[in-house]
Amino acid sequence: MSALLAAERLELAYGQVPACREITLHVDEGEIVTLIGANGAGKSTTLRAIAGALFPRAGAIRFAGRDITRLPSHERSKLGIALVPEGRHVFPFLTVRENLELGGFKFRKNAAKIRSLIDRMFGMFPRLKARASQNAGTLSGGEQQMLVLGRAMMSEPRLLCLDEPSLGLAPLVVQDIFRTIRSINEGGTSVLLVEQNARYALETASRGYVLQTGSIIVSGACSMLKQDERVQQAYLGRSAAVAAQ
Amino acid sequence: MLTVVLQQGINGIVVGSLYVLVALGLTLIYGVLVQINFAHADIVTVGAFVAYFVTHWLSGNYFAGIAAALAVGAVFGWLMNAAIFAPLRDRGNELLPLIATIGVSIMLQNAMLVLLGPIPYAFNTPYSNEVIRLGGTFLTVQNALIIIVSTITIVLLYAFMKFTFLGKALRAVSQDRETAGLMGINPNYVIMLTFVIASALAGMGGAMLGPVLVLTPFAGTSVIVKAFAIVIIGGFGNVEGTIIAGLIVGLIESYTTQFLDPGWIDIVVFALLLLTLAVRPTGLVAERREENV
Repeated sequence: MSALLAAERLELAYGQVPACREITLHVDEGEIVTLIGANGAGKSTTLRAIAGALFPRAGAIRFAGRDITRLPSHERSKLGIALVPEGRHVFPFLTVRENLELGGFKFRKNAAKIRSLIDRMFGMFPRLKARASQNAGTLSGGEQQMLVLGRAMMSEPRLLCLDEPSLGLAPLVVQDIFRTIRSINEGGTSVLLVEQNARYALETASRGYVLQTGSIIVSGACSMLKQDERVQQAYLGRSAAVAAQ
Repeated sequence: MLTVVLQQGINGIVVGSLYVLVALGLTLIYGVLVQINFAHADIVTVGAFVAYFVTHWLSGNYFAGIAAALAVGAVFGWLMNAAIFAPLRDRGNELLPLIATIGVSIMLQNAMLVLLGPIPYAFNTPYSNEVIRLGGTFLTVQNALIIIVSTITIVLLYAFMKFTFLGKALRAVSQDRETAGLMGINPNYVIMLTFVIASALAGMGGAMLGPVLVLTPFAGTSVIVKAFAIVIIGGFGNVEGTIIAGLIVGLIESYTTQFLDPGWIDIVVFALLLLTLAVRPTGLVAERREENV
């Protein structure tokens, strides 16, 4: 069986400024795959290319057997790719409910489906239900993260791309978010997770890729990456390395 | 005295609702694109002339004139987007579309000047001379029509923005275009739609303004300066703010005319503009937002 998502030899740039080269990765159906690396290593750039927010200079992206390299982001979302961008990006002046509705934009002709999806999201995140008619900009950081997760799940994606879901959140909230990510994955959605918190990422994912200054330097099963000298030194620190053994 | 205040209040609302129709288009386009369409004024003028000619050809059917102005405005909006904003959007230079719209504005003005001449047209609708009396105050049926049609239009637009999927998508694009794209919303389609709506409103505004204004190829220009002031006072991109600011400016205009002198109108309006910029730069009616990022 071929991979759900396959990126081959992507070369990414912002205008004239090169950001990533030779990015080759894949996500199989049902997997959680993580991209880890330092700030500026090109993790978010790679994710944006996969979601269609940035077109690669070279290379190809295939999703479910289809070449999507030149497909704009709104078309990819219809195919089943959802991206939760870094910094959350709720629509601040729309209510929580309206944010969720727009997440299900591709089902807009089917009001009953939208309603049942929103109920499902409210079941997953009861705190959102209490704030349904509040503007999303008034939510706390943790609540906003729940909202954008719910908003992404409104499109019933086959692949959920998450960009730094733990950024700026309290540790307890982070645990909550990662628990939710695992349960989303158990529901059958594949996950591509970009995360600075390598410890959480390697605990949650089954496979991972390590990026350094725009290239993948090592990849493999997370159990193996945890043992890798470079990963330990750069991202886990000594104590974590001991704990992992 | 009370009658005078009431009378000028009614006049102010008439003028204000016309300003709102014109200013809403500017604010909608600014909202989704963060761009200013200088040719907006000339779509108002085109709308006024289309309404004038259609009304006359159809021997006084003013409603057909309004509908035609609305339709022609919509087509102009579509053209503006397709010919200027869409091709220039991806070049990343924000100044280009702005300058191009100034070019379109000059072209439209001069084309109308060649075709229609500089002498003002007398646009009398069948409703211009019929008067309704309300106590001591009175208003022409034309002015009553302006209030009714503008109110219906504004309510419809508001309902569209608030309750339909496309309206919500439009607001989403104006708040965060890239993220809206991630939701499966085609931002280019939404922007096109915004131009069509904004320019249809401008065309219609022209049809309503025509009988009130001195109708020349430069008629729209006289209104657009106030429309810009209204957009700024109301907060760029803020629909509710624009509606309120439009009515305030209309009232200022009629009360200034009554109690000071018409010459003071622009002084008072632009003093309010400067005051707004100094005290509340995000507009008189700031969108409610508790920062929590």
